[in-house]
Amino acid sequence: MTDAESSLEFSTSLTSSLLPPPRTRIFKIIVIGDSGVGKTCLTYRFCAGKFPDKTEATIGVDFREKVIEIDGEKIKVQLWDTAGQERFRKSMVQHYYRNVHAVVFVYDVTSAASFRSLPAWIEECRQHALGQEVPRILVGNKCDLRHAAQVSTELAQQFADAHSMPLFETSAKNPHGAEDGSHNHSDHVEAIFMTVAHKLKSQKPLVLSQPAVGNTVTLRRQDEGEEPRANWGCNCWRS
Amino acid sequence: MNLRNSRSVGACSLLNGIEKQDADSRRKRKIAEITQALNTTPVDVAVLRRMAISEGGLLTDEIRCKVWPRLLNIPVESIPEQLEEVQRENNKDYNQVLLDVQRSLRRFPPGMPDEQREGLQEELIDIILRVLHKNPQLHYYQGYHDIVVTFLLVLGECLATALVEKLSTHHLRDFMDPTMDNTKHILNYLMPIIERVNPDVYDFMQQAEVGTIFALSWLITWFGHVLADFRHVVRLYDFFLACHPLMPIYFAAVIVLYREEEVLDCECDMAMLHHLLSQIPQDLPYETLISRAGDLFVQFPPSELAKEATQQHSLESPASTSEDVQSARRRRKEQLRPPQQQQQRNPVEVQRSALAVVQPTARRIMRLAVMGLTVALGAAALAMVNSALEWAPKLDLLFP
Repeated sequence: MTDAESSLEFSTSLTSSLLPPPRTRIFKIIVIGDSGVGKTCLTYRFCAGKFPDKTEATIGVDFREKVIEIDGEKIKVQLWDTAGQERFRKSMVQHYYRNVHAVVFVYDVTSAASFRSLPAWIEECRQHALGQEVPRILVGNKCDLRHAAQVSTELAQQFADAHSMPLFETSAKNPHGAEDGSHNHSDHVEAIFMTVAHKLKSQKPLVLSQPAVGNTVTLRRQDEGEEPRANWGCNCWRS
Repeated sequence: MNLRNSRSVGACSLLNGIEKQDADSRRKRKIAEITQALNTTPVDVAVLRRMAISEGGLLTDEIRCKVWPRLLNIPVESIPEQLEEVQRENNKDYNQVLLDVQRSLRRFPPGMPDEQREGLQEELIDIILRVLHKNPQLHYYQGYHDIVVTFLLVLGECLATALVEKLSTHHLRDFMDPTMDNTKHILNYLMPIIERVNPDVYDFMQQAEVGTIFALSWLITWFGHVLADFRHVVRLYDFFLACHPLMPIYFAAVIVLYREEEVLDCECDMAMLHHLLSQIPQDLPYETLISRAGDLFVQFPPSELAKEATQQHSLESPASTSEDVQSARRRRKEQLRPPQQQQQRNPVEVQRSALAVVQPTARRIMRLAVMGLTVALGAAALAMVNSALEWAPKLDLLFP
C-alpha cells in the first residue's frame, strides 16, 4: 500500500530471522499531539528509516513497529500513531492507552497553538490512569522551519522541566531535500526513540514481555524511588 | 467458505472471448435498463437501487451523475446552479479542514496537473465549509474530506454540494455528532456479524482484544481513505448509496471474514492483528464481497444485532479490565450453547439459542454464494431493494 505503511513489513522480515528467542520484550509507545504536528512522519521515520513520501490525516490509530537491539537484546518497539483531532481521543483512542510503557508528546515549533495544547494532552494521559513511572518525552517537530518558529527552545525547555520530561527538537523531514534520507541521521529521530527504549530497558524489574497467549503483561516497577524523574539519563538534543 | 475459488476464470481463450462478449452485452442491457428507469415518470428508484447494487454497479461516472441524486431522493431540478459564497475565516472547522485537504494528495488521479488538483482542493474546502455552515448541528471529522472528494470528482462542485449535504444529514449523520460515541456504537455491530458467520474468527479476535478501531476509517470514509483505486471506491459508493446506512459495517465484516485464513494465522496479539486488519488488500473481489454483504444484511438485519451491539459497548467501556472481558466472554459462550444443553430461563436466552440455530443457514448461504454468484446476487439485490424501500421513509426515525 502506501509508503507509510510498509514499515512493518520491513521490520517483521527482521523479526522472523531473529525468532524464536524465548520471549521478545515489547515496548509500547503512544505518540500524541495536535493534528498536523508530524506524528505520522516521526513514527514512520523511525520505523522505516526514511522519510515518508506524503502523509495523510491519520484516522483512528495507526501502528508501526521496529525491532532494535540494546546491549545484545532484541526489543520490539511498537509505536501507536494517533489521530490528532480532538473528537477521536475522547472515545476512540482510549483502547490504545492500555498497557502503554511510554508516551511521546509532539508539538510543532511553528505552531504556538499546538504547544498550548500540551497541558490538555498531559491531562488526557492522566485521565487514562497512566502512572508517574511511565516515561514521557516532549518532541518539538519541524525545527527545519526555524525562521517560522513560534515556540522558543527556552519556553519549551521550561515546560519540559516543569513536567519532568526531556525535550527534543527535531525535524522529521529530510533536512537537505535529498530524495533518499535514509542515510541521514542528523535529525535525531532515531535518538529520540532509542532514548526512550534505553530508559524502559533500564527500568529493571519491569517485565515487558509477550507471553504465549498473546496479551502483553505489564508488571509495574517495584519500589524504585531514588531515580530522578526529570531529564532522565539524557541531555536535550537539538539540531 | 473459501471464496477465493470463485476468482478462477476459464483458462481457454475461446471461453474468454465468449465471456467478454457476454459481459459487453450484459453491460449494454444494464445501461438500457438504467436509462429506462430514469426516463420513467416518476423515476423508478427501485430499479436504480438494484442496478447500483448488482454486478458492476452504475458502470460510468456519467450514469452516476444522473443516478446518485435519485438514490438520495434529490430532485435534480432543485439543485441550484449558483453556489453560495463561503465565509472561510469565521468557520470553526476551517483550520482542520484546510490541514486535511492539503494533505489529501493521494485522493486525486495520479496524472492530474498540479494546477487542476489545487483548484479541486479549493472546491473541496468550499463544499465542506458550505455544508457545515448551513447545518450548524454537524461537526467535521477527519475522514469526512475523503468522502466529499469522491463526490466532487464524480459530480462536480454543484451537484456534489447537494448530495453531500443530504448524505451528511442522513447516512453520515451519526459520524457528525459532537462526539464519536454514536460512531463507536455503529462499530459495535461489527463483531456480532462476524460471530454469526464465523465463531472461530470472532473468538480469535476477542482473545487478541483487537477492538474495532482498525475498521474506523473504513466506516467513516466509506473506504475512500483506504482504497487506492478510485474505481473501487465509486463502485462501493454505488452500493452504499443504494443501501441502508449500516451497510458499510456489513461490508467491513465481510472483508474480515474473507481474510479468515490470514486472521487465524496471525499472532494472537492486539498490535499484530490491528496491523494486519487495517492493511486492506487492494485486490479484493469486490463484486463477490458486495453480494455477500447484501446476503448478511438480509440474514442478520441491524434490528437483530442491536441488542448485542449495545452489550458490546458495555464490554469495551474503559472501566472494564481484561478480566471482565474474559469472564463476559465465557458468559456469552455459555449463552450460545446449543439449545439442548441450555436451560431456557429467560427471553434473552431463548433468543440467543434461536440465533445459534440460525448459523448453519449462514453457512449454506455462503456456499450458495460460491457456487452460483449470479443467483445469490439476484436474490440479495431483490431483498435489498425491498428492505431499502422499507427503510427509506424511516431514515429519520432510525437516525435522528
